[in-house]
Amino acid sequence: MISDKLKKAILTELKLDDFTIEDATMANQIPGWDSLNHINVITAIEKDYGLRFKAIEVLKCKNIGDLQKLIDSKQNK
Amino acid sequence: MFHYIELTKVWSLLEYDKFNPLYFSSSLFLFLFLGLLFAITVFSNSRARVYILLLFSAFFFYKNSGTALYVLVLSSLLNFGVGYVLHNAKAEGMRKLYLWIGIILNLAALGYYKYTNFFLRTVADFQGKEFEALDILVPLGISFFTFKALSYLFDIYYETYTPTRNFADFLLYMAYFGNISAGPIDRAPAFIEQARNYSVTREDISRGVFLIILGLIKKNVIADYIGLNYVDRIFDDPLRYTGVENLIGIYGYALQIYCDFSGYTDMALGVSLLLGFKLMENFNYPYKAKSVAEFWRRWHMSLSAWLLEYLFTPLQMGMRNMRMLGNALALLITFILCGLWHGPSWNFVIWGGLHGLFMVVGIVTNKPRTAIIKKLNLTNSKFLGFFRILFTFHLVAFAWVFFRAHDLKIIADMYSQMVNFFKPGVFPQFLQSYQMISVLIGIGYLLHFMPEKLSAAAYKVVGKAPLIVQAFLLAFAIWFSWQFMAADIQPFIYFQF
Repeated sequence: MISDKLKKAILTELKLDDFTIEDATMANQIPGWDSLNHINVITAIEKDYGLRFKAIEVLKCKNIGDLQKLIDSKQNK
Repeated sequence: MFHYIELTKVWSLLEYDKFNPLYFSSSLFLFLFLGLLFAITVFSNSRARVYILLLFSAFFFYKNSGTALYVLVLSSLLNFGVGYVLHNAKAEGMRKLYLWIGIILNLAALGYYKYTNFFLRTVADFQGKEFEALDILVPLGISFFTFKALSYLFDIYYETYTPTRNFADFLLYMAYFGNISAGPIDRAPAFIEQARNYSVTREDISRGVFLIILGLIKKNVIADYIGLNYVDRIFDDPLRYTGVENLIGIYGYALQIYCDFSGYTDMALGVSLLLGFKLMENFNYPYKAKSVAEFWRRWHMSLSAWLLEYLFTPLQMGMRNMRMLGNALALLITFILCGLWHGPSWNFVIWGGLHGLFMVVGIVTNKPRTAIIKKLNLTNSKFLGFFRILFTFHLVAFAWVFFRAHDLKIIADMYSQMVNFFKPGVFPQFLQSYQMISVLIGIGYLLHFMPEKLSAAAYKVVGKAPLIVQAFLLAFAIWFSWQFMAADIQPFIYFQF
């Protein structure tokens, strides 16, 4: 499940009113989340959650579900 | 005696000859391919299929690169081994070490075979010394199989792929004749899965035949003809032609390189479909792009996806503290290396650098541009869309000049002719004297820019035809394209005199 907080962080950064984001949603399916903007979305999420990803952790994520799991695992530490 | 002579003739046809490489569009290839297709269809559901394909791929490689075949085999062995230990290592430190060993081994081989002379020449130029090139034979497709090997290792490292335990399957992934010489740069997971499970539907056959026909026409009819009879002449001596002819030369080259590369890829995709492989898509009407970034999502897509995943994104992540500057640096590094990947020469570096620069300007001006467009109420307007396509096309086309011309003087001459000696009045004369060239350039761009619905409809007509009709169409396309290849070189025409 994608949390409201993550969803809000993504939508705010991409200036979207609403977009359905599920576990299997891939980054490039979300309007505006392209390769150039990718880094802005990632840093916005890091800022919202007050955490920092390792490059390899993000590279391993295949979809937004993986990203959510990564955030959860970091918060539980 | 008679039999002896015939046999040696046949044998010499199959031998390595550096002046006579094997292309998909050559008669020898088409003849041998029919035999291969027959063998693969007979042994479709047995492991023999992989070994037959390996044998054919080894022959294809040998015919083009001779004994350099050992480089491919050695590289495959090393990468298979590194992949194995990388997958089985538990500690993160060891995994990283194995990954780096793999990267260094691959880049060392690529660097030695492809870039040694470039490096030595550059050093000699700096020292003002004479340079004599070393005799290094570049193995066929080394840029392609090196990148395939690297993606295999990266995927194992990222834990998105469990490597195969079967060396024959991996060797086929590295050596497969269909994509070794000009891509696509396929990925191990999808390719090896298809090596293990054969599937060819009636739809695949139709699609395969359609793509081979399309590829033959794009490559042999359009690209080769306009290249030989027009573009080459302009790039050989631009000062002999008016600016308008130089401009048409640039448009012609933009079409030539697209038809050449995507046509060859179409043939690779088509041939592979008939053998049971769906290779990666590599082109999607690149000149319809509305930005240079989008161009790269439509041009040589398997390479740009590779660069994005394994080079740009890691760089971008690593430099994210620098915000936009980090993004810009990652872009420039990626595209300069992308240029260098295309060949050991400064003009490729400049070409790549230009593309990187275009995109950097794109991200820097993004905010003000969006604001202006919003103010003018042009967001999503047809006019803006058209303008962006036209603008992007010209950026890409003018950058192609650096890709094609190997001499900075030629480039300067072309641009100076366009600025100082444009002479648009020559255009009607051009159309009259270069009728075939004008028609081919016109048809080429029309096919490229026509609505996708129309091309889908064209495919439906061919795809639904009975097999015998498709075979006839294919035979006709082969005959037709050979007519063009055999056509006499058209005479030179100068207008300014």
